[in-house]
Amino acid sequence: MENTKRLSDMVYACSGIGDCRIAYRWAVGRYGVCPVLEHSPQFDPYYARGKIRIAKGILEGLLEPSEGLAKVLYQCTTCGSCHSACHQTMCEYIVLPIGRFIDHTKLFEAMRADLVEEGLGPMPRHREIAEWTRKEHNPYMEKHEDRLKWLPAGKTVPRNADLIWFVGCTEPYRMPELAQAFLKILEAADVDFGIVHPDEWCCGSIFFRTGVWNLARELASHNLEVLKASGAKKVVIHCAGCFRTIAKDYVELFGKLPFEVVNAVDLIRDLLKEGKLKLEKANVKVTYHDPCHLGRHMGIYEAPREILKMMPGVKVVEMKRIRDASWCCGAGGGVKSGFPELAVEIAKDRIKEAEETGADYLVTACPFCIMNLQDAKEALGSKIRVLDIAELVADNLALV
Amino acid sequence: MSKVLKLLQDAVGTEYVSDEDFITYAYARGIDSALPPNPPDYVVKPGTAEEVAEVVKIANKYKIPIVPRGGGCCLLGGSKPIEKGSIVLDTARMHKILNIDENALTVTVETGITWAELNSKLNELGYYTGNLGPGSGISAVVGGGLSHHSVGGGGGAKYGTCTQHCVALEVVLPNGDIINTGSNASVYTKEPFCRFGFGPDLTGLFLGDNGLLGIKTKATLEIFPKPPYHAAKTFTIEEPSPENAAKIWLAWRKRGDLGIFDSQLWTLTMVLGTQLLTDVPQIKPWVGLTKAVFFYTMEAETEEQLEANIKIVDRICKENGCTELGPELKDGNYAKWHYEEQGHWLTFHGIWGGMGPGSIPLTTEVHVPIHRFPYIAHKLDEWEAAHKAELDANGGMQSGISTALLCGHTTVEVDAGLLAWDKPQYRAKNLELWKSQLEMLIREGGMPYMLGEIYSKGLIDTEAFNGAYYSFLKSIKQALDPNRIISPGKFYL
Repeated sequence: MENTKRLSDMVYACSGIGDCRIAYRWAVGRYGVCPVLEHSPQFDPYYARGKIRIAKGILEGLLEPSEGLAKVLYQCTTCGSCHSACHQTMCEYIVLPIGRFIDHTKLFEAMRADLVEEGLGPMPRHREIAEWTRKEHNPYMEKHEDRLKWLPAGKTVPRNADLIWFVGCTEPYRMPELAQAFLKILEAADVDFGIVHPDEWCCGSIFFRTGVWNLARELASHNLEVLKASGAKKVVIHCAGCFRTIAKDYVELFGKLPFEVVNAVDLIRDLLKEGKLKLEKANVKVTYHDPCHLGRHMGIYEAPREILKMMPGVKVVEMKRIRDASWCCGAGGGVKSGFPELAVEIAKDRIKEAEETGADYLVTACPFCIMNLQDAKEALGSKIRVLDIAELVADNLALV
Repeated sequence: MSKVLKLLQDAVGTEYVSDEDFITYAYARGIDSALPPNPPDYVVKPGTAEEVAEVVKIANKYKIPIVPRGGGCCLLGGSKPIEKGSIVLDTARMHKILNIDENALTVTVETGITWAELNSKLNELGYYTGNLGPGSGISAVVGGGLSHHSVGGGGGAKYGTCTQHCVALEVVLPNGDIINTGSNASVYTKEPFCRFGFGPDLTGLFLGDNGLLGIKTKATLEIFPKPPYHAAKTFTIEEPSPENAAKIWLAWRKRGDLGIFDSQLWTLTMVLGTQLLTDVPQIKPWVGLTKAVFFYTMEAETEEQLEANIKIVDRICKENGCTELGPELKDGNYAKWHYEEQGHWLTFHGIWGGMGPGSIPLTTEVHVPIHRFPYIAHKLDEWEAAHKAELDANGGMQSGISTALLCGHTTVEVDAGLLAWDKPQYRAKNLELWKSQLEMLIREGGMPYMLGEIYSKGLIDTEAFNGAYYSFLKSIKQALDPNRIISPGKFYL
């Protein structure tokens, strides 16, 4: 358990008070914490305190890792809600110590990496995905050569440019309409950009999250070299998972990157502000779901809201749980692939919350959130439309 | 599969019982840096009182100890097993609000609901529970608070302990019987509304019992409309701050009801500690303060009433060494955050990690009469001086009073204790010093209320109870729980 041991300060920092279970502080918009807990038998290891107490037991030689433990550890979306609830004052003038000392997501990923080294992780489906990705560089059981199929016929994109769009795997293979929407926006604003196809590989997100760190590092090293070779000064990423991985995990792995990394929402917001995108009146009521990869993991809360505010005819109605206290969709941390039913059960909670606002659209900025929320919407028979913020913008571009 | 496991599964459902080591280990410890971990054999999560009763009957048949547990927040080892081979009965699955009765002015809940969740729902209707439970009320549940006479999570000065507002309980007795107390004791009563009547106060038997006499499964609490006006002010206070704070509190109390909702003293040690012990100061506007801090929050029905009470309260503060900080949090007005942003449920959390990652307190908090607070403060200073070398040698432990707070009409809660490192090499000495300080406080007249393992045993070790009292307590325990099923080991019973 060397990876956990390296983070032993975090393990011992946990007091065990348990604010990570079900914290309510309505004055700051906090209504609950752990999205998994309500859909589990609710024993302590299903939320952060129990996991950390187990880590302490393992470090002190009082407990051995097991298959049962692995199954519980992988039923965590690594959404980071426990971190934001952990003694967080949500107040700029008061900073309690413990939340600063523990990075819950990082610790749980390290515990998973140890389970992988012990042969107890990841979950069977994650293993299949890893095996495929080693061969075809994507986690969707698709051929690498099909990666560019989402591009409209006849469309060519340069491989070298100051601005490189890292497209990822989810959109090309599963949700091409999202990539096409972002492409439409870039073209409407006359933005010069390149794509490093066919050399782009999976960013490694799923493997960072599930503890398959050897593969994650291999993919990261490859992508870094490819991006460097492209001459990129800036890399824009529409996929929230790829964005978190490259902007955060790659930086932790390699240090400062030789290019700037921005999310698509920042770029779209800037294009709108600069008047490079003209929009028609939309006349819709929308609510915005903060993806964990973008919000709690990367601190991006404002840009998507600014975009929505700049869209004529778009009325924004917020859900009860937003920003730092946002409710995870349930897909993250490998839960969608490892425990698909659990993922959808969690997403149902979020769909119901969105419906309470009376919104026509549930808008977000992450393909995994969309995929999972869409599944939950269908399971519930909900009428709310789930879509990406880039789709909303692209659908309302004015013809010029 | 063991016979007991099978029976427990039949009682509460397969999903809600576990004997897996990684599950049971998660219930082996409380929130302290001293008591050794002791995993139970089983953890069960019943969903109803009837399921609790079934578990209790199984435990009786096989003579297996049960430790009731709510949020698992006890700071003194109350929610972990003392004896080997236990069942931890986790009530957190039972967290429904059963009825908010705006005519009887009560709320009835399952006891596994947290104070914060309950008050969040009440707030939507303009109510609160008055006393908002313990300082850990974000994670602590109603059942735990009622088992401890909890007070520190807000509203303590105005409403006293949470147990003062409990009008009825549903309790699973150690033999598996389920009883209703208070006004619910009669089958003819239409709704729970009052605790006192129908003979002896049997509700009181289970309040503050530290889980010794039964398992509380439902509780009815009074609810209060939240007043429309409030004030929140923070001051520096001259030394000796315990003397000055006690004078202020006593003077307020002698004026009658001034609407004080909460009032706390942050000792100079604590104020300096928040600036010096960790790399980032906890309360940024207090950086540079070299005085203790005192604050109050106040509620009123009208603006006139509020203004009138502020005048009286502020004059008494000023006469006793207080200088007001500015009105906003950025000016150092911590009270504003405490009241307006539910900081009352986080106010003690600054102590966790207070010396850096891995430092966790060992509380010795006690109640004393208001006027005796300075005396207890002196005794703690003496204890610290006498143990300085041992504290230093054990990783540099800190000792003292973090805060003191006005509790009900007559009492100050003195939040004394140690700040220690939660590492295996320090735990034995941590335990020794912890016991030493809490036994001193008992001998000096302090009244602990959250007892857990260590304070309940400390009361017996110090012979705080005379023979007849302890005998009486033993008789009650023996009569209710002849097989020593519920929380064995507390009070050495």
